[in-house]
Order: sequence, then C-alpha cells, then structure tokens
Amino acid sequence: MMTPGSALLRHAAFAQVSRTPADVFDNLYLVFLVLGTLVGVVVISYTVYNAYKYRASDPDAEGRYDVEETPPEEDGDGVARPQVGEIPTGSGKGGGKKLFVSFTISAVIVLGLIVYAYSLFLYVEDTNQLYDGEDTEDPLEIQVVAEQFRFTYVYPDGTTTEELRIPKDRPILVNVTSQDVMHNFGIRELRVKADAIPNQYNEAWFQAEETGTYEAICYELCGVGHSSMRGEEVIVMEPEEFNDWYDSSEAEKAEVSG
Amino acid sequence: MGENGHLPPKSNIKRWLVTTNHKDIGVLYLITSMFFLVMAGILALLIRAQMWAPGATVLDPGGYYQVATSHGFLMVFWFLSPFAFGFANYVVPLQIGADDLAFPRLNAMSYWLYLFSGVLFGISFFQGATFMGGWTMYAPLNAPAFIPNYGHVGSFAAILALVMFTGSVTIGSVNFLTTIYRMRAEGLRMRDIPLFSMSILLTVWMMLFAFAALLGALVILSSDHLLHTSYFADVDGNPSSGGSLLWTHLFWFFGHPEVYIVFFPALGAMAEIVQTFSGRRLVGRKWFVIAMALVAIQSFIVWMHHMFLTTINLPIKTIMMVTTIGISLPFDLMVFALIYTMIKGRVRWKTPFLFVLGALLIFIVGGITGVFLGAIVLDYSFRGTYWVVAHFHYVMASGAVALIGALYYWYPKITGKMYNEFLGKIHFVVAFVGFNLLYFPMFVVWETPRRMFEYSAGFTFWHRVASVGAVLFAASFVIMIYNLFMSLYSDRVVDDSPWAYTGSTEWAVPSPPPTENFPGTPSFTSGSLRFLEGPEATDGGVEGEEATPDGGQVTAAADHGEPHPDHASWWPVFAGSSALLAGIGLSGLSPSMFVWPFLFALPAFVYFVGAVGARRDGFTVLHGAFLSASFLLLAVFIALFHVTQGIITGLESAPTYFWLALAGAVLGVYTLVRLGFESFYVPEPTSSAQWPFGEVENTKLGMWTFLGSDIILFGAFIGSYVFTRFEFGWQDWWHVAHEVGGLEHHPVWPGLLNTYILLASSFTVVLALVFARRGVGTTEIGPLSVENRKLTLGFIGTTFLGACLFLLNKGIEWVDLYFHQGWTFNADIMSSTFYLTTGLHAAHVVIGMMLMLFLMVRSYTGAYQGEDEARTIEYFGLYWHFVDIVWLFLFPLFYIL
Ligand code: HEM
Ligand SMILES: [Cu+2]
Ligand SMILES: [Cu+2]
Repeated sequence: MMTPGSALLRHAAFAQVSRTPADVFDNLYLVFLVLGTLVGVVVISYTVYNAYKYRASDPDAEGRYDVEETPPEEDGDGVARPQVGEIPTGSGKGGGKKLFVSFTISAVIVLGLIVYAYSLFLYVEDTNQLYDGEDTEDPLEIQVVAEQFRFTYVYPDGTTTEELRIPKDRPILVNVTSQDVMHNFGIRELRVKADAIPNQYNEAWFQAEETGTYEAICYELCGVGHSSMRGEEVIVMEPEEFNDWYDSSEAEKAEVSG
Repeated sequence: MGENGHLPPKSNIKRWLVTTNHKDIGVLYLITSMFFLVMAGILALLIRAQMWAPGATVLDPGGYYQVATSHGFLMVFWFLSPFAFGFANYVVPLQIGADDLAFPRLNAMSYWLYLFSGVLFGISFFQGATFMGGWTMYAPLNAPAFIPNYGHVGSFAAILALVMFTGSVTIGSVNFLTTIYRMRAEGLRMRDIPLFSMSILLTVWMMLFAFAALLGALVILSSDHLLHTSYFADVDGNPSSGGSLLWTHLFWFFGHPEVYIVFFPALGAMAEIVQTFSGRRLVGRKWFVIAMALVAIQSFIVWMHHMFLTTINLPIKTIMMVTTIGISLPFDLMVFALIYTMIKGRVRWKTPFLFVLGALLIFIVGGITGVFLGAIVLDYSFRGTYWVVAHFHYVMASGAVALIGALYYWYPKITGKMYNEFLGKIHFVVAFVGFNLLYFPMFVVWETPRRMFEYSAGFTFWHRVASVGAVLFAASFVIMIYNLFMSLYSDRVVDDSPWAYTGSTEWAVPSPPPTENFPGTPSFTSGSLRFLEGPEATDGGVEGEEATPDGGQVTAAADHGEPHPDHASWWPVFAGSSALLAGIGLSGLSPSMFVWPFLFALPAFVYFVGAVGARRDGFTVLHGAFLSASFLLLAVFIALFHVTQGIITGLESAPTYFWLALAGAVLGVYTLVRLGFESFYVPEPTSSAQWPFGEVENTKLGMWTFLGSDIILFGAFIGSYVFTRFEFGWQDWWHVAHEVGGLEHHPVWPGLLNTYILLASSFTVVLALVFARRGVGTTEIGPLSVENRKLTLGFIGTTFLGACLFLLNKGIEWVDLYFHQGWTFNADIMSSTFYLTTGLHAAHVVIGMMLMLFLMVRSYTGAYQGEDEARTIEYFGLYWHFVDIVWLFLFPLFYIL
C-alpha cells in the first residue's frame, strides 16, 4: 500500500510531528476531542432546538391522547403530512438539499480527520525509520512473553527478567507473544499496546522521555487472574544507569550458565 | 371469519403454548425478552457494585467474569434482538398487509428455541460455572484446557445455548425474508414498505449470513469441547498455530454485522416514531433506505477494525480503516434525515418521541466516539479500555432506548389501552439522566482497562458516579413495568390509532387487531390502502385498474370451499423443549458417551415415521417394513453399544446427562415426525405483491434462503481450514506431504468414489421428481408398466441407498484412519479439520437420509403425485444437490490439493 501519495503523507508527518507514539497520540487525541466535541455540541443543540421550536401547540383533544390532525387543506404551511394507509413516500422536496449539504460538511470533516490520522498512523507503524536515525542509537529490541498471569521480558543478550528495565530517550521495539491464551501487553502512559497471541509475533515500538516507574497492564481478558495481571514493573532509567544494569545482568547470566 | 382457527382464548394458558399467530408470538417475544433484560440488568448492577471500589470487593474473580460475560451475552443475544423481533413479529405482517408470517409453525419454533436457549443459558450458571471468557469468547481461553474444571460443563452448556439461539435466529430470518418478499399487499412495492419493515428486512438479511458464520465458529468450538479436536488448543493446553487469530476472524465476521443487527430495528422504529410525532414524512426517505442498505452490505467488510492490535498487516489495516470510516458516513446521513424531519413538523413531546429523541442524542455521541476508534493510532490506545465500553454502550444501548420508545409507541396498538403519559415522561427523564450518569463517566476515566476490576484509585470517583447512574437507569425500568402493567387495567381504551399522523397499515385496524388482521384483503393498487371485501367486492366494487398479472383476486377467507388457516400446533413448543433436554444432556457427556443418545434416536425416528405414517395414511407394507427395520436398527446399535461400552457397565455408569440427552433426542425426532405429518393449512399468497419472487413458492424461497445461510456455514468451515492450513504451511499438510507423524499416505480413492456416488444420487433425485410430476398413473418402461408412485418411491430409495453407500465408504475410511492408524480427532490440527469438516458434511447427508425416509413412506401412498404435490420432492432435491456440491469443494481440498 505504499503508493506515492501515502509515502508523501508519511514524510510530511514525519517531518513535523514530535517523535514518540505517546506524543503522536496526545496530539491526535486533542484534535479529535476538540473537533468531536464541537460537532457533537452543534448537532445535539440543533436537534434539540428543532424539536423544541416545532413542537405542536395544540392542546390534547377530547377523548384522544394526541393532537387533532388538521386536514391537509387547512395546513397552511404547505407540508404534506402522513395519513393512515398512504403508500409511504419521502417528504418530497423539503429538506433534501439541506440533507446533502450537512452530509457533505460532516463527511469532509471526517475524511479530513482520517487522512490526517492516517499520516500519523503510517509514521507510528513504520519501524524501519527507527534504524536510520543518525544521532540516535538503534532501538532496543525486547521480546515480551505473556503467560497466565505475568509478563516475561527477554533482552537481546538472553537476559530474562520479570521487570522491564529500559533506557529513556531510546526507541524500544517490543516483540510480543504468548505462551498460552491471548493477552495484550500495554503500558498506559507510554502508549504502547500489542496483542500477545500464541504462535504469533507482534511488533510495536515506544519511547520513554522521562525516568520513572510505569505499569505494565494486560488489556485482554485472559482468565480468572486477568484483573491482577498488571504491575509497576516498567522501569525507565538514565541510559548510563541502564547500561550498567544491562552489563551486570549479562555478567550474572554468564555466571549462571558458566 | 372471526373465530380463531383452533386457537383457545387468550386467558387460557394453552393458547400461549400452541399459538402460531404472529401477534401472539410477538407478545411472547416481548415479554420473554424483557425478562432477560431484567436478568442481564441485575448482572450489570453486580458489575457496577464490583466497580464501586478497585479490587475484588463483591465477587470473586471467577464470579465477576461469569457475571460480566453473561451480562454481555444476555443483553446482546437474549434481550436486544428478540425484543426488536417482538415488534417485528407483531408489526411487520400488519405493515405489509400479510395475514401472518409465511411459515407460522416455524415462527413459533423460533420463539420456543429462543426461550429454551435462554433457559439453557440460565441453567449453565448452576452447572459449576457458566462461560467466563467474555462475550467475544476469545480463543484459546474458550477451549476446555483453559477453562477451570468446575466450569467445563457450564461453559459448554452456554455455548450450546448459543447454538440453539442461532438456530432460532436462522429459522426466523428465513421466515421474515419469505414473508416480506412474497406476502405484501397488492400494489405495495418493495421500496414502499414502511421503514420499520424495511429495517427488519435488512436485519434479517444480515442475520442470515452473520449468524451462519457464528454457527460455524460455535460448532468448531463445540467440537474442541466435545470431540477434543484442537482447532484452538489441544487438551494439554498447547495453543494451535493459528487458532487464536482464526477465532478473532470468525467471531468478528459475525460480530460486526451483529452490532448493526441489534441496532437496525431500533433505527427503523426511530424513523417511524419521528415521522409520526413530527407529523412529517421522512426527509430523504430514498436516501435513508439506500444508506441503510449500504451499511448492511458494508458491515461484512469492516470486521478487522476489532483486530487492529493483532498481527494483521498494514495494507489490511488500511483497508479496514477506510471501510470503517466509510460506514460511518451513511449513518451520518440517516441521523441528519431524522433531524430534518422535525423541521416544520408538529412535534409532540410524547413519551415515545422523547425516548427516540434521547436515543438520537445518545447515538450521536456514540457515533462520534466511534470515529475516534476508526483512527487506528487512537484505537491502539483505546482498545481494551473503557472508551470502547462507553462507545458501544452509547450506540447499542441507544438502540435499546429507541426500542423502549417503540414499546410505548406500539403498546396501545398491542393492548388496546393507553399507558400513563405522566409516568412515561418520568420514566424517560430518570432513564435519560441515569443513562448519561452511567456511561459518560466511562469516557472520563477511559484509561480504566476493560474487564478488569482493579483500577487506579484516582478513578474511583467517576466509577462511583457510573454506579449511581446504573441504579437510576435500572430504577427507571421499574417505573415502566409498573406503568405498563397498571395501564392494562385502565379505562383508557384506544381505537385504531391513538396517534395523529400515523401512516402505516397497522394503524388502520383496531387495537388490538383481530386474529385475521384485516377486514378484507388489503390492497394499495388504488394508490392508498383499501380493504377488498371478499369476492363481491372484487367483482363489482373494484375498477379495472385492479387487475393483477396472475388474475388472482379471490380471498381465501371469504370462499367457503377453502379450509380455514390453522393457528395452533403443539409441535413447536415440543421442538424447543426437546432441544433444551438434548442441550443439557450434551453439555455433561464425555466424548465416548455423547453419540449414543443420538444414535438410539435414529431407530426411534424410523419407528415413528412408520407408526405415525400408518396412522395418517393407512397401514401399508412399507409402514410395516419401517417398523421392523427400526427394531433391527435398535438391535444393531445396542450390540455396538455393548461392544464399545459394555451394556451393563455402560448404562450403570451413564450419568443423568445421558438420560436427558436420550429423552431430548427421542422427543426431538418424535416432534419432527409429527410436524412432518401434521396437516397445517397455510394459504399460499395469491393476490399479493411478490416482486422479485413472483415465480417461486414460499417454501422454495424459504429453502433458497436457508441454503444461503448453509453456504456461509460451510464457508466458515472451509475458510477455517484454509486459514489454519496457511498458518501451518500449505505444503506440509498431511495428504500432500508424505510421512507426517507416521501416518500412511492418505488414499484418494475413498473420496473419489464418494464423489461418484453423490453425483449419481443427485441424478436419481431428479428422476424421482420427474415421476412424481407425472401424477397418478403408470409409465411404460420397456415391456413393464409401473405405477408412477412406485417409480417415485424407487428413485428416492435409490438415492437413499447412495447415501448409505457414501456413509459406508466414509465409515471404512474413518475406521482405518482413526483406529488402525491411530489418527484420532486430537492427533493434530490436520485431523481436527479433516474429521470436523467432512463430518459436518456427513451430518448433512444423515439429515438428508432422515428426510428421505419420510419422503419414502409418504410417496408410497402417492402423496407426491402431481405437479403441485411433487414440490416437496423438489425442495428436498435442492437440499440434496447442495449437499453434493459442497462435497465437490471438500473433495479436492481434503484429498488432492
Ligand atoms: C459510527 C460509526 C462507528 C464506528 C466508526 C465504529 C467503530 C468501532 C471500532 C473501531 C471498534 C473497535 C474498538 C476496539 O475494540 O478497539 C468498535 C467497537 C464496537 N462498536 Fe462501534 N463503531 C461505530 C458504530 C457502532 C454502532 C452503530 C454500533 C452498534 C449499535 C457499534 C457497536 C460496537 C461494539 C459493540 C463494539 C465493541 C465490541 C467489543 O469489543 O466487545 N458501533 N466500534
Ligand atoms: Cu490478561
Ligand atoms: Cu465493528
């Protein structure tokens, strides 16, 4: 699907957007939220306004529980009203044009939003770009193995831990899989999420800009222990600190295997 | 006419068990579905109680997941759609000018299957634990290896309940499609049917195909439970290579259309109610209908937007994003059409209108938040959170709110009494406030992971607001139930239409309408509704413009020579209850035991065909042969049972489940035989608009649509096979790669032979039809002169024999593979797909054979001789050819390619 158009879009997005998926989400969510609220408020107000403005003023007629129908001739406002037993038809001319105008406007808004969103999507989806940055390191590739009811993290050197220690400011490329049922690996603040599917390998990337501890959460119902499949186990470290830890863990591992 | 056919009065409980009248069944649907609404609502309150504070505060984890799962199942399957179909049953025939649905007994059967499937689901709670893997039933968590032992029986019972429900839906879809296409009042073109009927038409089209896919998924899942195949995971808990993804595809191929299936009837009702209470015809009606049709079609190509976080690739994600956003635009148009209809209207803020207005506002919010989800980058973060929960409640429950409006709208029509307007308005206010208090906070704290009762302490406030909203929302329904119940006894009697500016035909007849619906034959040929009264009116009072192409004018009811249409049968309720018994039984039986109850039902079937047939048509040699054959068959099965299980030990250790299943199976076959022999007169529509199916009879159209859904069922199986095989490695599959797991190369010839056998049997069915059509008489064959009925019988018998040979050949093949080569159901994913897919086909063959047994006794007494009478054989032929054609696909896929 890499048509020239979409390649262009991707470039445009790549050029101007801040880098991490978390930033991308924040930007886009804001845009959607503002426009969505706007559209929602306008449409809802307009609906209620019309329902109110055109309410019938007739009092309830004797013995019936609704207004009296006025015969078509007396209606005055030129609107043909429904009558029992008619072959259903539309309202004729009234409103058709308006319908299309408003439909077009909203379609333009939606399509515009989506084209914009799509350009960002292509950016987030493209993991190759992580490898050709000149001033940054290549991403750290970590395998995430989900099982009932915990995650295990496997580093390139084979280090296997139950805590995800990562350096800040470096892209992290996770490769997510599962050993039993379907899970989903996600870290809320870092906006990374991927299904953990048995026998499938699912890639996603993210980047932390601040050190600290984050929660890894399973977002797919995976059995009775699912609710507790979350923990403060993602530790973002200063790069040097991380390197120290990583080197020592390698040493430990060497000890174990040696 | 006036009297009820054979229908007892409404105060008699028997009436409600035997009725096949669409209005009665509509009422039954409405009441039953509201019962399930209460049940699911109580479960929802339990969920909200658990969410009052983080942690397992009220329910233990297993309990919580059972509650959350069944809340979803009950609301989506057992409340929303059936509630809508209560109205559909009641209103659609009235709106289109039909006396009843095309197949009244099948309609009753739909209802009873629905009710009893819900009962089975309810029972599953008490069988240890019901299913607890979420309404999406993701694999392999849905496979027995990952279900705690105490939940095995209950989970399987829940799955079987869904299978039963699917049966009900499929029968219902066939029925509504046939009715709407073939039984419209004269002069009412397809495009002119009222919007509610139109929405039901599109709904049943979607149902026909979507539920067939669900059935496929459920049968495969059942087989993992019952036969221990390994589509999703083997018994030791090793997930299969592609099972997890396969399930998401199967489920969402059904699941996405399903969300529109539950919404469409509400949309139709909204359109009707907005028209009535605005006193205006719908703006852009044509475009509204086109938009609905577009959405219905497109709903089948957006399913992977539920799978953006799986491993599907970029191009596919892109396509799904485009189709998803594309589908939101027609909705857009429909919403605007509803809004503009109010302009220049005479809008009355009556309860039905308030509910519809509320539903519209809610739906707008739901739709907008749906667009958020369609933007994949956003969905990555929203997936699995309360954003999704809030979104789909805003859209789906908006449907529910609209249908509550529909309940107030049609309540006077159904009961003949007006509800209390003041209480109705109170209900609306409380419900609307409660609804938004309940669901809007979910957007605020959308970062809460879905289906998790642990959440960040900071979110507690908003979850408490939601819980309070839930209590309000629930309480509002108490007001409704009180109002509707008390109003039954009020003196607010209504005439034809209590509302001004109604349009459709149901408002032109008394409330409630009489059994036969109309005072004469409804017709629109003059440009608006008229009731033609019997032959005189058609002869004298009607001008030349009313001539119809086929000239059929005379109404059956007025002609005293015609029999009265029947409105009562016991067999639908028996069919439903035997399915319930069999379902309970099946849920608790082991792989080695479960077939026996059903095998023992076969001789019972043969016996009943003989015995009931003899009573109906008079005893003949053939009936005698059936009776003796049944005992022979029983002896054979008992012997087989003895060899495999040991008759004493087998029966001694047989659990209660065994006897339940046996009772269900035997009662089931008895019911089917009685249904088959029952004389139940339903007039074939003569003077009605039938485009585009004017040339086919009701039953044939019914058979076509049924086969259409069967195609999807097999499509799901074949698709699953192809998908699984690709994940596994196409060329590594056993019948092309030699020496897999010590299995000898699978010979092609049994499959090939069976292909020939089936083709030949298709030919003999045609011959049976040819001689049946010749009517009573004889045919010269060389020097012989043979009675036509005997030739008919002979060729059906030959077909039956072909089917026997087919099964025999297959049996030999299976015995070799299964026992001699040890290639059991759970040997690997290849054996699973092979046995199950060809087994499903074999099951179709067996059903065909049972039908043929029935046809044989009847044809011997000459029941099918004649152009019209032979149609039954023609319909069977359609089915049989279909079964053959399926084999033509299975054979290459499983033996050659
Ligand atoms: C207006 C256009 C709509 C769009 C663009 C849309 C989009 C989506 C998307 C992308 C999802 C997947 C969310 C996820 O799990 O990550 C979703 C979920 C869902 N939608 Fe919509 N939707 C729309 C309207 C509707 C309507 C009309 C209904 C039904 C009445 C509906 C019912 C649902 C349901 C039930 C789910 C969740 C299923 C589940 O995961 O359990 N949506 N929607
Ligand atoms: Cu989980
Ligand atoms: Cu969907």
